[in-house]
Amino acid sequence: MFAVFKTQIRKELRSPWALILLLVGSIVLTLIFANIDQDTSTTVPIFSTEEKKEEVLNKWEPLLNKNSNFNFVVEEDTAARKLVEEGEHTAVLQLFEHDYRLITNSSMPAVQMLEDYVHMLFTTEAQLQAAAGNNNVAALRAEVESYLQEAPLQIQTEALDGGEVPDYNMGLQLLFGFTLFMAMFTIGFQVNAVSADRANGVWDRMILSPISKTAMYTGHLCYSFFIGFLQVGLVFLIFRYILHYDLGGHLGMILFVAAIFSLSMVSVAMLFTGFIKTPEQFQVIYSSVIPIIPVISGVYMPPGTLSNPILLFIADLFPLQHAMNSLMDIALYGAGWDDIALQIAFMLLIGVICMGVGINLIERRNN
Amino acid sequence: MMIETVKLTKSFKGKNVVDEINFYIDEGESVGLLGPNGAGKSTTISVISSLIKPSAGDVKLYGKSIIKNPAAIRKILGIVPQEIALYEELSAYENLKFFGEIYKVKRSVLEERIQEILDMVGLRERQKELVKTFSGGMKRRVNIGAALLHRPKIIILDEPTVGIDPQSRNHILETVQKLNKENGTTILYTSHYMEEVEQLCKRVYIMDHGKIVASGSKTELLNILSSEDTIKIHLNETSDDILKKIQQIESVRHVDETDDGIRIISKKGNNILSSLIHTVESQGAEITNYQIETPSLEDVFLHLTGRTLRD
Repeated sequence: MFAVFKTQIRKELRSPWALILLLVGSIVLTLIFANIDQDTSTTVPIFSTEEKKEEVLNKWEPLLNKNSNFNFVVEEDTAARKLVEEGEHTAVLQLFEHDYRLITNSSMPAVQMLEDYVHMLFTTEAQLQAAAGNNNVAALRAEVESYLQEAPLQIQTEALDGGEVPDYNMGLQLLFGFTLFMAMFTIGFQVNAVSADRANGVWDRMILSPISKTAMYTGHLCYSFFIGFLQVGLVFLIFRYILHYDLGGHLGMILFVAAIFSLSMVSVAMLFTGFIKTPEQFQVIYSSVIPIIPVISGVYMPPGTLSNPILLFIADLFPLQHAMNSLMDIALYGAGWDDIALQIAFMLLIGVICMGVGINLIERRNN
Repeated sequence: MMIETVKLTKSFKGKNVVDEINFYIDEGESVGLLGPNGAGKSTTISVISSLIKPSAGDVKLYGKSIIKNPAAIRKILGIVPQEIALYEELSAYENLKFFGEIYKVKRSVLEERIQEILDMVGLRERQKELVKTFSGGMKRRVNIGAALLHRPKIIILDEPTVGIDPQSRNHILETVQKLNKENGTTILYTSHYMEEVEQLCKRVYIMDHGKIVASGSKTELLNILSSEDTIKIHLNETSDDILKKIQQIESVRHVDETDDGIRIISKKGNNILSSLIHTVESQGAEITNYQIETPSLEDVFLHLTGRTLRD
């Protein structure tokens, strides 16, 4: 086993670029997408063709921008229309003194959300106008807002431990997601060394040596696990201690989950090896299937976005979904061992089944 | 008797690739297994080495079956596969070290053993270079070296000289000869190069379509052709019709066209020259050269199988 393990390390040191590329890739992707994601507001150009254009825009622009989900920016009439015509923006808003018109190039759900928000704002303003009569509308609005601060009925939220509910951190989700995604590739390519050894005849030579088959598999799989875990661990440590990301107070638990995930992914890659005949086929098929898993596991989307039960079921069949849940629970909500035990059990179960079936298929083909 | 096969059969998808073959190898012997591509040589080797199980029959090592106990043969066997079964991204030294480790060669002797083998295959000076930078011949030499680290009693070489330069080929043949003569290692050498087997092996088995069609020493095999003459003629022009007409001559057993003329195998003692001249001239051609050759193993193979080794 150690001879196989050591030889794989020697091979890796001889050509470490793929590993380095995947490691740097997970850091770069997280930095790019996590930072982009922090600015989640949608920019909507606004313009007016009224005679008192300045007055209309000065009135509505601050009111519209009270919602942090949208960023309304004043544009010239023709420039705004061109933006929507050329598809640079999905919608622009034309403002009148007491009315509005939404100009759009599609009927996406985001446009409906914009319409709902603008409609509610104009309705509220009309109600305030009606209630204020000849009095000052601004004063009435301030009075209403002040009243709502101390409203008789209020919603209060608190975490299960009685503390404050933490804001969901999409950046953290992407950090975990991209890191595990890249590790899936690393692990797969390492496990593919079994297929490569079988194809070039080294596997047969090993079979004819005194080394047992168990030792042959163990050497290869331990090495794949080691490299996968090393990559995930390194990325987490870099983000924690160099880029100062807040990974919560349980780094040990996070690394434990990473280890179980790596173990489970080695088994999944082994299952692929069992089905596939050559290392070249493995590279093509594995590289085609793996990018789908984070998508159906909702790794790139806020929680709850995916609700299709079939996709959720398929996602549950891969360790990524369970690892993501565990990692987010630990980092964001301070989950303990009891809280993540079920997810860990799922990953181990996937690992055992995939490893059993994978090795069985390989051995059957040999015979 | 060191190794013996008894009615050894291996089928794939209902077809007998190895068909009830019986042969033996004595300790210290150098035996050739000769046959064209697809004759079943590699499959036979895989079964003997315990890599795959036979569909029927048995393989015995010192009289004991190895089918259920392959460890017995694996301990004393060194196998040189037809393909280059090495890690190309590692150096020659690292490859040998890896195979030494998996064969559990003691650390205290492994280093010495590696250098000894590198000397034997003539790669000591280039041991630190990556295998992927080597020529085909050098790779094949490392491939052989990897099978020698545990000092096996028997070495099976499966076409070890395919596609290499003459210099490397000679080096490999010398190495195999040295292993057999100086170390007393038993050799089973498969090839479709007749001259290699003639040079290295005292006994030869000829395989075709999964069966052993003949066996014996070189002299014994050549005696098969003792009742035949091999005649080579050159014509000023050749055609299929001329070959057909020659074939129709009564004492002619086989005719084929080779790179350097027409080869005719006929009954020994029958002077067919006049018949040949007559037949060729009747087709409007002329014999420009005529020679009676001493039969070779190649002729024996042709006689037995009706095809050449490189078919």
